[in-house]
Amino acid sequence: MEQIVCKRVSKSKSELLDSTAAFWKSGAKLKVETAATPLANQPSPYIKGVYDESKIGAVKELKLATVHNNENIFFYFEWASPKPSRAIGDINVFPDGLGLLFPMGDIEKTQIKEMGSKEYPTNAWYWRPDFKEMPKNQISHGLSTSLYTEKTSVQSHSSWDNKTWCVVITRPLKISGQGEQAVELKAGGSIGIGFAVWEGSNGERGGIKAFSKEWRELVVEA
Amino acid sequence: MAGEEKKLTDREKELAASFQAAKDNLRKCEKQVGMVMDLNKCIGCQLCSMACKTLWTNVEGREYMWWNKVNTMPGKGSPKDWEKMGGGYKVKFGGKVMEPILGKHPTRKEFGDMWKYNWNEVISNKAGEVHLQAKNPDGSNPDWAMNWDEDQGAGKYPNAFYFYLPRICNHCAYPACLDACPRNAIYKRENDGAVLIDQDRCKGYRFCLEACPYKVIYFNFVTDKSNKCIFCYPRLEQKVPNACARQCTARVRWVGYVEDPKSIIYKLVKVWKVALPLHAEYGTNPNVFYIPPLAPPRLDAEGKLDTTKPRIPREYLRFLFGPEVDAALGVMNTELEKVKSGGKSELMDILIARQWTHMFGPFDKDPATLERKPAQPGSFSRNDLTALNNEKNR
Ligand code: SF4
Ligand code: SF4
Repeated sequence: MEQIVCKRVSKSKSELLDSTAAFWKSGAKLKVETAATPLANQPSPYIKGVYDESKIGAVKELKLATVHNNENIFFYFEWASPKPSRAIGDINVFPDGLGLLFPMGDIEKTQIKEMGSKEYPTNAWYWRPDFKEMPKNQISHGLSTSLYTEKTSVQSHSSWDNKTWCVVITRPLKISGQGEQAVELKAGGSIGIGFAVWEGSNGERGGIKAFSKEWRELVVEA
Repeated sequence: MAGEEKKLTDREKELAASFQAAKDNLRKCEKQVGMVMDLNKCIGCQLCSMACKTLWTNVEGREYMWWNKVNTMPGKGSPKDWEKMGGGYKVKFGGKVMEPILGKHPTRKEFGDMWKYNWNEVISNKAGEVHLQAKNPDGSNPDWAMNWDEDQGAGKYPNAFYFYLPRICNHCAYPACLDACPRNAIYKRENDGAVLIDQDRCKGYRFCLEACPYKVIYFNFVTDKSNKCIFCYPRLEQKVPNACARQCTARVRWVGYVEDPKSIIYKLVKVWKVALPLHAEYGTNPNVFYIPPLAPPRLDAEGKLDTTKPRIPREYLRFLFGPEVDAALGVMNTELEKVKSGGKSELMDILIARQWTHMFGPFDKDPATLERKPAQPGSFSRNDLTALNNEKNR
């Protein structure tokens, strides 16, 4: 399994929660290929019947970097977006989006393509430009079952420049004791991770998106 | 389309079967309520629209919605040109194969946006100096609304014509909206077949707006979820008829169980066969039916009655209500003639509707008896669905 290493840095949250920071812009980044979600996995006969898989997944690649400061974990993403879609202006307008997915239990038994199952759920952090830098935390027990949780400790900072979205997503490593349903992360630990990205101008929303087809291993350095 | 030729894996086949089972489950209902509207009686007063508005859509995010609206026909309707927006099904092999048709989203301006008026300017200026004007929220001048082409007819004087077409969600037996939702948020209520959008599950993806061929679903920009006519199910639960039906000035609407031989709906749809679904070819099996308009006879060049052809072109009525419209109008004419020549007609007695309490089957309680308690929207367990989706999951 491909590894993504999250190094420990001694920088503050305010330094890191900045999508325009030189630290992110000039640092090394990892490329993740993304591809259309398979139509066969669509729980909607309508979508299966009328959508064309070859036109789904406008974003083909994400660039990412990740660090932690022993308290919070930070993910930085960059992807080409010539036609940014920032908000739901009209009924036929869909905002762009970005998602991180974590298995909550055994990675071997958790299907990334199906967003988990009843026994092996997943936790997603879902960013959208219209979420006011407060990404949603959601739990999914398989296709068509995901629900936002009431509480979320996920935060973001985003900017669009040079036809590119730059998004930092952060969350405290530890969330135990706060009554929030989400994955626990810890320095020195590791967990599976996946990504999804929605191109609003291509009508992408819900299951119509591009995603990383395989789990990767996120190694959080001690 | 793409993907169809691809070989499915065993897991994909399993998933497809469980998705189909989930949709079948959501479509199931023990009884089905329906509505008949007599287009010969509708006077376009919009009281039905206002009854619905004050009851359901005067809250934040719903202001621009008209779950009930009355369009003037032949007109472009609301949303503008909805009949050209696709959705619904190509029905094959007598319904064994339902092939969904790609649909288009209406825009908020095509529905008619939430206008703002220059009240303050009018009030703070001298009388007559500033006129009352409506603007769209983006500042542009409105060019469409719920019944923008009001009373605009077709044909030439003295044989011009128009009629009103009140529209609500059809609470279809095979709802395209339900099939379209990837969240399984849309379902039919078990005890009356009303089609509802579970607001806890809806994530505002709007596939339902694309797929519904009648374009009666609205998007709520405040809650980021889709909203639609709920067939007044909280009233039905207390045996009070739908607000649009009860409020109707002209006693245009009947409510009842579609499959109950004693109900007026059954009599009008199945026995007399004078009430027809709108655009049945869309394949969703609506449970709202219309009695097509007869319209007065034509006049010839001398101003004399010309009964050689109908005032409303039959082709147009066939377009709306299918080829069955000819037989339906035939029955209507025969029964009318019976009464005119002093006879009795059960059909005409039903349509005259002398007493409102006879129009709504078991839902004949006065609205004043309503107990305003929060209603229970769901009647099936969502857990069954989750289990369905996952039982074969590895
Ligand atoms: S009319 Fe449209 S919204 Fe109503 S049940 Fe039928 S398909 Fe669904
Ligand atoms: S209240 Fe009755 S008569 Fe008035 S517009 Fe509605 S259906 Fe027609």
